[in-house]
Amino acid sequence: MYFWKCWRDTRYFFIVFLIIAAIVMPVAAVVCVGTHLVEDFGTSAFSATFALILMALALGLGAIGAIHEFTEKTAHFLFTKPRSRAYFVWVAWLVGFAELLTIAAVNFLAGWVTLSRYTKNPSHSAIFGSVTPHTLLDPLISCLLAYCLTYSLTVLLRNGLKGLGASMGILFGFPLFAAAIRWRWHIVLALPPEPIGSLSAAISSIIWILIAMLFVLAAQLVVERAEV
Amino acid sequence: MNEVAIGTEALTKTYANIHAVSGINLTVPRGAIYGFLGRNGAGKTTTIKMLLGLARPTAGAAHVLGMDVAAERMAVLRRTAFVSEKKTLYPSLTPSELVRFSRGFYPTWSDSAVEKYARLLEIPMKQRFEKLSNGNQTKVWLLLALSQGADLLILDEPTTALDPVSVDQLLHVLAEDGLDQGCTIFFSSHQLEEVERIAEYAGIIDHGQLLMESRLDDIKSEFRLITAAGNSLPEQTSSQVLSVVVEGNFYSYVVTNHADTFAAALSQNGATVTNVAPLSLREIFLQLVRKER
Repeated sequence: MYFWKCWRDTRYFFIVFLIIAAIVMPVAAVVCVGTHLVEDFGTSAFSATFALILMALALGLGAIGAIHEFTEKTAHFLFTKPRSRAYFVWVAWLVGFAELLTIAAVNFLAGWVTLSRYTKNPSHSAIFGSVTPHTLLDPLISCLLAYCLTYSLTVLLRNGLKGLGASMGILFGFPLFAAAIRWRWHIVLALPPEPIGSLSAAISSIIWILIAMLFVLAAQLVVERAEV
Repeated sequence: MNEVAIGTEALTKTYANIHAVSGINLTVPRGAIYGFLGRNGAGKTTTIKMLLGLARPTAGAAHVLGMDVAAERMAVLRRTAFVSEKKTLYPSLTPSELVRFSRGFYPTWSDSAVEKYARLLEIPMKQRFEKLSNGNQTKVWLLLALSQGADLLILDEPTTALDPVSVDQLLHVLAEDGLDQGCTIFFSSHQLEEVERIAEYAGIIDHGQLLMESRLDDIKSEFRLITAAGNSLPEQTSSQVLSVVVEGNFYSYVVTNHADTFAAALSQNGATVTNVAPLSLREIFLQLVRKER
C-alpha cells in the first residue's frame, strides 16, 4: 500500500542513481587502464565517488521521498485512512533509506568488482587494503544525517524545494558556523561524522545516528499535530 | 447497540478570532440519510473534519458510530468512508492504482463493488487521475468510498462537478445501495434539491451554528407561508414569524410552529387570510439563513 506508493514516487530517481552508482567506478577504471592510474585509483577515489553519489542521493531522496501529503493536497485522503500518521512518516522515510542503502551497496560492489578485475587480490591489495569499516560508515552517517535533515525540513516547510534549500543551507553553513565558533571562542564543535569530544568513534557514530533519527521524530511530531 | 451514528456535544472550532463552528449538537440516527445544509463557509467542512479527526475541536466532543473520535480515531476511520470537498488525489496514479492503494487499508473492501460502480459511473480506470475530467475525478472519490464496505459514508459536497446524469446515478446509488447495506450517509451540500430528494433528515448550519435539525418531513410541516390582505397588520418578525413581506395591503408571512393559530389571530385583526401553504426546503433554507444575517 503505502510502501508501494512511496516506491512509485521515488523509483525514477532511484533508478537513475542506481545506474550512476553502478557505472562510475567501472568507467573510471577503464579510463585509467594502461596508465597505471588504476593502481592509484584505490581508496581515495573510491571514497570520494561513494560519498559524493550518496550525498546527492540523500538530499534528493529527502526532498522527493518525504511524505508528500501537504504539498499534493492529498492529506485529507491519506490521513482518513485507518493508520497512524506516524506510520506514514516512517514508511516514507524507510523506503528512502532502503534506496539509499541499496545504492550504497551497488556503488561499493561495482567498485570492488572493478578493482578486483585489475588487481589480483583486492581485499589485501594496496588499493583496498586501507578500506576500513569507517571508510564506508563515515560517508553513510553523513548521508543519513543529510537525508533525515532534508526529510524533516521538507515535511516542516511542506515543500520539497524549500526543504532541500534549507537543508543545504544548514549542511554548508554549519561547518562555517563551527569554524567561526572555534576561531572566536576556541570551542570545537564536532562535524559529522567526526568523533564527538573525547568519545570513541563507535559511540560518536551512534550519537550521530540518533541525532539523524531525532530529525525524523521531529517530522513525525509535526505531521501528527498538523490540522488538514 | 448505539442508535446514533454521529453525535456531537457543543462541538466548537475557532481559528484565531473566527468561530468556524460554534457549539453545535448534531444527532444523526444510524441507517439514515442526513443532509447537512449550509452556504459556502457556513462550517460544514470544518464540522466534517472534526468528525474525522482531521481537525481538533476547540471545545466539545464528537462521537462517531458510538466511538469518541479523539480517543478512537483509528477505529472510527476503519468503519467510515469519506469523500472530500477537495477532489484531489495522487495525480500520477490511475483509478485502478488508487483502488490497489486503498484496498489494503480496509478489511471490508469489496472488489465486486469496485467493478460495479466503475461500470455504473463509467470511470476510465486506466487513465491517470490528473488527466481525468473534474466529474470523473469526483467519481473516483465516490468509487473508493462506496467500495470500502463502510458503516458510515461522510460525503462533503459529493456532487461537485458532476453532470446531471451522474448526479442522478449517484443519488440513486446512495438511496438504494447505501440503505440496503444498512449504511448511514451523512452528506453536506448546498444543492437543496439533492437533499430533498434522498435525505430523511436534514440539518441547516450557518455562521457555524446549527439553525435546525430534524426529519425532513417535520421541517416541511413546521413551516408555512401565510398570505393575508388587510390594513395595519403586524410587520415585526419574531421567533415564530421568520419574515414579513408587505406589498400594499397584501402581507406574506413565513411562520414556524402553530401556523393555524397565527392565521386565526390575523383573521381576528380583520385580515383576510387568502392562503396557508407549505414551503419547499429551498424556501425554508433561504428564510432561515436570511434571518440569521
